[in-house]
Amino acid sequence: MALQTPTSHEQEWREDLQRVGFVRKLLAGRRWYGTDWWLVAISAVMVLGFIILALFPSLFAPYSPDAQAGPRFLAPGASPDVPVLVSLASSSISGLSDLEVPAGDPRPSVGVVRGVPTAQALNDQAQALNDELSGTGMELRPRIARFDTLEETLQAVADGTVLAAVVQSTEYEQVAGDYPTVAEGESITGGVSSEGGFILGTNQIGQDVFSRLIWGTRIALLIGFSASIIALVLGVPLGLLAGFRGGKLDRILSVVMDSLYAFPGLILAISITAVLGPSVLNVIVAIAVLYIPTYYRIVRGQTLSVKEELYIEAAKSIGARSSEILRKYIYPNVIPSVAIIFSVNVADAILTGAGLSFLGLGLPPDTADWGIDLARGQGFIQTAWWLITFPGLAIMLVVLAFTMMGEGLMEIFNPKLRQQ
Amino acid sequence: MEDVLYSVRGLNVRYATRSGDVHAVDDVSLDIRRGEILGLVGESGCGKSTFGKAIMRMIRTPGRIDSGELWFDGADLMTYSEKQMQSVRGGAIGMVFQDPMTSLNPVQRVVEHLTETIRTHEPKVSELAAIARAEELVEKLGIRRERLDDYPHQLSGGMRQRVMISLALALRTKLVIADEPTTSLDVIVEAKFLDLLRELRDEFDLTILMITHNIGVVAEVADRVAVMYAGRMVEIGDVYGVFARPKHPYTVGLLNSVPNIDLAAHDLYKMEGTPPNLLSPPSGCPFHPRCPRVMDVCAVEIPVLQEVVPGQATACWLYDQVGVTGG
Repeated sequence: MALQTPTSHEQEWREDLQRVGFVRKLLAGRRWYGTDWWLVAISAVMVLGFIILALFPSLFAPYSPDAQAGPRFLAPGASPDVPVLVSLASSSISGLSDLEVPAGDPRPSVGVVRGVPTAQALNDQAQALNDELSGTGMELRPRIARFDTLEETLQAVADGTVLAAVVQSTEYEQVAGDYPTVAEGESITGGVSSEGGFILGTNQIGQDVFSRLIWGTRIALLIGFSASIIALVLGVPLGLLAGFRGGKLDRILSVVMDSLYAFPGLILAISITAVLGPSVLNVIVAIAVLYIPTYYRIVRGQTLSVKEELYIEAAKSIGARSSEILRKYIYPNVIPSVAIIFSVNVADAILTGAGLSFLGLGLPPDTADWGIDLARGQGFIQTAWWLITFPGLAIMLVVLAFTMMGEGLMEIFNPKLRQQ
Repeated sequence: MEDVLYSVRGLNVRYATRSGDVHAVDDVSLDIRRGEILGLVGESGCGKSTFGKAIMRMIRTPGRIDSGELWFDGADLMTYSEKQMQSVRGGAIGMVFQDPMTSLNPVQRVVEHLTETIRTHEPKVSELAAIARAEELVEKLGIRRERLDDYPHQLSGGMRQRVMISLALALRTKLVIADEPTTSLDVIVEAKFLDLLRELRDEFDLTILMITHNIGVVAEVADRVAVMYAGRMVEIGDVYGVFARPKHPYTVGLLNSVPNIDLAAHDLYKMEGTPPNLLSPPSGCPFHPRCPRVMDVCAVEIPVLQEVVPGQATACWLYDQVGVTGG
């Protein structure tokens, strides 16, 4: 049909939309995005983003989720305090390996600050590298010169008294401007650069919070989608059958489903995973069992009411078979409510999955999962706020995106709802 | 004898309820002649819709057809299997429902309703051919073919009712049962619709059973009229005859109850009493507690439908010549 002029009611809410802020728009979105599309678009972009993250986490995560990537408890955005090698900018020394010399040659001198653990780190690293070099005719045995202050150490480098120095990166950066001829080299502990690298900080065992968050998307969506799909695939046909056929089948199924439904959700999931043991598949099964009754009840109820509609009788009057009535008349009229439940269920299943792993059930303890991260981080809530804030935010955003998109889409695609 | 398309003999339909059986259609016999428009009138709850469904064998539990014969075009429908009935429904007999707002599937486009009907009964017809037939059909009914791609909620009430008709006509339909087809339409749309019905009858050689409580509609389109009361047929005859000289006291009352602009408000006839409870209908003639001309025999024996003047039959002891001696 051609474009319709907006009714006065529509204009009213368009004006409303102009006046309120973003939060109010989100809250009142349900009323509005029936005829508007932008909230759906936003949530769709969010959902799509999460799906892409879940499919290709390695493209976005800078570190492996399990690896100890840096120092412990590094705050978001803070540079890690690592021992770095500094030397004259004109020299070609950037890492420890540049200090290798043929065995017997004079040993290079390296300055350190007294009382700072850099000397120990230098010794350990040099020892390790030296062991690797044994038999090649080269050696790495720097002569350590100790200075009282950082300034003295750096001055010594600038003067050429020592070939290089090992200093803590954070302290060095504060005074680096005073020694223009001195340049920062690599970290001597290897791997970790002193440049940022931890947008959301690190946790208590030095893992990158951001990387774990991204890998956590995969497990969250896997659990959410699989559990909801399994529940839908089992619940919808059972509900249709029970509602359409009625009688004994209906009664038996309803009793079974109601008894499942009567359990508090998380308790049921806990007991199922406790029996099945920890694995992703078992969590999915447990959550799916939890949601089958939801689909069953909604579909059965809708089927019962749609069955009485006049157009079903009209369909019979044109000679439609039972299977056809079920497939073409009842099913399409029932499925909109299922789709709404599905999107909400995905979100809900993600929450339940996170809840299970928060309680230490279901997932193997080393999995990169938001729930596990929350559980691990809760003990450090006063010292390291970022450990629980970001997994919590991630869960919230995913749930919000799925709920918003599902309901918005349904209101747009379902002509019946839209007309109201 | 006239050419009879559908012959109902001794039809009984009961609904099982907790407080007992409701005798919704009680021993009704009726002939529907080929090519006629037969109006079936009566109060709400008198069993006319049940009768309409019964002749398509669409009574659902807790209802059932207790006894009776349904002869359609020489075939005994009571012996048909459910599968055979499915091919009759929508095939030879079509139905138009009371409320066009709810009798179309809200999530199906109009064209899908039509093609589905066609292809259910003629599986060999291709989708494209079915669409072509659907377009041809709705254009005959005055709906532009572009509207076929609309959903039912995008159509007006009159258009929906025409879509319902086109569904009933999609195949080689012989008999259309129209169950209060104009109740939810306004008078102008109603008038157009009735014109359309008459045209279609002539063009498609249809027979129409028009179930309605609107006497005016019957007077407008019907050839014959049948009056039902409490599940029984009380009068049947030529529409001019019945309306000019109603025989049964109930028909008289029914016709007097029709509002008329010439009539002052207080002159409008109000029939005494209320329709009987079909759980425990009155003995004898079901109308006798409300009948202004009740006689002793009425409470005892049920009158039979018999011809009192040529082309007009009634079930009333007033006109019984045999009954007095027999009863």
